[in-house]
Amino acid sequence: MKLRSLLLAFAFAVSIPATAHAITVKTVQGPTGVETWLSEEHALPMIAVTVALPAGSAYDPADKPGLAELMASLLDEGAGDLSSDAFKQALENRAIRLTAEAERDFVVVNLTTLTENADEAFRLLGLALAHPRFDSEAVERMRVAQLASLKAQDERASQVAQKSWFATYFGTHPYAHPGPGTPASLAAIKVEDIKAFAASHLVRDRVKVAVSGDITDAQLRKYLQQVFVPLPASSVQQVPKPPADAGKPGSHTIVRNEAAPVAIFGFSGPMRLDPDFIPTFVANYIFGGGNFSARLMDEVRDKRGLTYGISTQQADYKSASLIIGSVQSDKAKIMTALDVTKSEMARFAKDGATAKELADAKTFLTGSFPLGLDSNVKIARTLNGYQRSGLGVDYVEKRNGLIQAVTLAKVNEMAKKYYDPAKLVIVIAGTPAPAAPAAPQKGAAPAEKGTTASR
Amino acid sequence: MPKPPHTLGAISLSAALLLGFAAPSDSAPAPAAARPAQSKASEFQLSNGLRVVVIEDHRAPVVTHMLWFKVGGTDDPPGISGAAHLFEHLMFKGTKTVPNGELSKTVARNGGQDNAFTTPDFTAYFERIAKDRLPVVMTLEADRMTNLDLSEPNVLTERDVVLEERRLRTESNPQALAREQMEAALHLSHPYGRPVIGWMGEITTVTRAQAIDFYQHHYAPNNAMLMVVGDVTPDEVKKLAQDKFGSVPSRMLAPRMDIPPPPRLAEARLQFAIPGTKLPQLLRFYRAPSYGKGPKGTPEAMDLLAAIMGGGPTSRLYKTLVVDRKLASEASAFYDGTVRGPGEFGIIATPRDGVSFDTLENAVDQIVRSMNTAAPEMGELERAKTRLVADYTYQHDNQFVLGQDYGTSLSIGLSIADVEDWPNRIKAVQAADVRKAAQTYLLKEESVTGRMQPRP
Repeated sequence: MKLRSLLLAFAFAVSIPATAHAITVKTVQGPTGVETWLSEEHALPMIAVTVALPAGSAYDPADKPGLAELMASLLDEGAGDLSSDAFKQALENRAIRLTAEAERDFVVVNLTTLTENADEAFRLLGLALAHPRFDSEAVERMRVAQLASLKAQDERASQVAQKSWFATYFGTHPYAHPGPGTPASLAAIKVEDIKAFAASHLVRDRVKVAVSGDITDAQLRKYLQQVFVPLPASSVQQVPKPPADAGKPGSHTIVRNEAAPVAIFGFSGPMRLDPDFIPTFVANYIFGGGNFSARLMDEVRDKRGLTYGISTQQADYKSASLIIGSVQSDKAKIMTALDVTKSEMARFAKDGATAKELADAKTFLTGSFPLGLDSNVKIARTLNGYQRSGLGVDYVEKRNGLIQAVTLAKVNEMAKKYYDPAKLVIVIAGTPAPAAPAAPQKGAAPAEKGTTASR
Repeated sequence: MPKPPHTLGAISLSAALLLGFAAPSDSAPAPAAARPAQSKASEFQLSNGLRVVVIEDHRAPVVTHMLWFKVGGTDDPPGISGAAHLFEHLMFKGTKTVPNGELSKTVARNGGQDNAFTTPDFTAYFERIAKDRLPVVMTLEADRMTNLDLSEPNVLTERDVVLEERRLRTESNPQALAREQMEAALHLSHPYGRPVIGWMGEITTVTRAQAIDFYQHHYAPNNAMLMVVGDVTPDEVKKLAQDKFGSVPSRMLAPRMDIPPPPRLAEARLQFAIPGTKLPQLLRFYRAPSYGKGPKGTPEAMDLLAAIMGGGPTSRLYKTLVVDRKLASEASAFYDGTVRGPGEFGIIATPRDGVSFDTLENAVDQIVRSMNTAAPEMGELERAKTRLVADYTYQHDNQFVLGQDYGTSLSIGLSIADVEDWPNRIKAVQAADVRKAAQTYLLKEESVTGRMQPRP
């Protein structure tokens, strides 16, 4: 009986999940320079808001990396006539959550509030964006906190490798900036620098607002006026394209005493609005994005026991797009893990994917889509991500159809076009030891030698 | 109480998730999801002893399926710490009908995500998936509850993956290493002093016979709770659960030990100089009451004590040490009370450059004393209550977190009513209760203090 029910389940499993119902997203009219999307949902008495402004770390002056991130950390440290302490108390009195962080292109501000406190929440958001104070006490305190966080990041090989990878790949281009800065750059940033940066970047230009939850179109329009009209209507320059010599292939090692070094490896991918993007998204799921279903996890972890985890993902920015992977492994195994990764890339480019891999990728990517849109906070963040990428308000409706339309020939074309091991930029944090043999050991493993895995 | 389990160190997610790149705008969603708490939960039991809990959330056509076993790090046999966690890995190694690795792939082919986590008190397996795929995951879970393939290579080779996991999560992280030593010093011989992932030297000794024994005595419907959160009704789940799990036989279980914490008669002080430490940290841990052990009402007061002392930028630790006296760059407090055994209260502070550990620790002690000698002010108490109660609502925006909250609480012996009444009990705590909790439990003479010195 058990066996029969299993067979039935698997027969059932090959069809595509019936998850047509998703959210309804509409555009809400706001002040010029502010694009707003709303997903209305009244089941919970709360509202989630995500706002992006063109004030990311790519706009840091070359000698002052860390400026955007320091500014973002100060947005809840006092605004208008509210001191830092008064502002924080105002948030806490109504359990309003307000956070801000700098990415490469944008500063992203998240606001979450109970419906009953929406007036106060949007008032405080408006103050934070239009009238941040940057009092010297708060600036010094956040500078010290950011310096401490630099030290904590320096403890982790993954952070060290990642920062160094971006510096190596982008060279003098502003995407090379370490978001949190360096001890020297943080020390050099003055209060005036922060104020000037805020004045020129917290403006009504390419602002993206996504809202989900217990709020109507009319209410939101009122709040948009209140929050954004006070911002200057000036413009911010686009981040320039990386120079032709960016992403020079090569492997670099940061000498550190690590039991388990981390390697970051990556290469250039299609831009977000390029027709190649979606087919590459599917291809990457098959190659390295699909966690326990991906080829890399299969070959590097399951068959050879070389790591606890390995994956690749697309990272798209306004002026560049990457496919980046990471792997951490015992220092005797890390070079082998990278060798297997390279040969898998070459095999993927040469032979492409199978029809079954493509079908499995499509059912996962389309079927899992609603899982990322089942809470207000996730909806606001996901929609804002689409806005930042320049996608249309109908993208949520179109997205699964775009994935379904990807053909095997297209996936294989993408594999050949982008997955070239000769183009890899690799940074390893930690000193590798002499490599172990790379032969697959599945099924015949002696007690002392690891092979397979599942979690 | 509505907090995730505190031993995140044992949660097994792909290493890649830890690296935090800028998210691509079309990435596959991370596990997590959404619903309010106006008693959307109901429960029933199958005749084989399986407890079933249903929490409705109809906002999106998805479900979170969770299977919670009453076995965790505390149940590791002596000498093989990490056994429960290793077993969590083994549950993915396949059965007679589902080959190794096929479970996760089947879930993914159906558009779902799956994983598992182990804490000192329990082990939980979950899948997030479109609601019409619920029968698929139920079939897979019922199958591995009883048909697991514990062959020699499956057991012995998975050990090495766990060793890699320990290297990644603990050995290469000075803060995780220090935390582990602090727990061992705080809990003495109580099993909470052992890391859930296990000590390196002990993980390597687990045998196939021990794994089989563990499976036979802990993995059974009468030791498990099935939880389905999402776009389902109790009636639908009842039919499915009966169909898929009804025929799984119950088993004789290993009796679950309830070990009383040994007395602590001395303050312990640990001086760390772990290679790779860049950031100095001061750690202070106390044993505390818990929601599992009581006394009733006290854990709620401890939650508020932690919020007032160190729960954010208006808390006493932050305002005094970071804002006013400029002794620390960061300072906070936590309370882990949603456990079966002894709870834990902790303070963590990062000294600013040039500030000695002695100076910082004296200042921390003064703040602890201030909580002992006077009740908190009404303003700070009200703010803390508002925040904790709102956190409860916000957490119910996320289906996975919602399931985790209920599941954690029910796994340590609380009821659905206990979970849903928590905001009211928080509101009922008086200022004097918070002071009494501090006086009774923040005893330096029974505490553990750690100083993490930077070391290249």
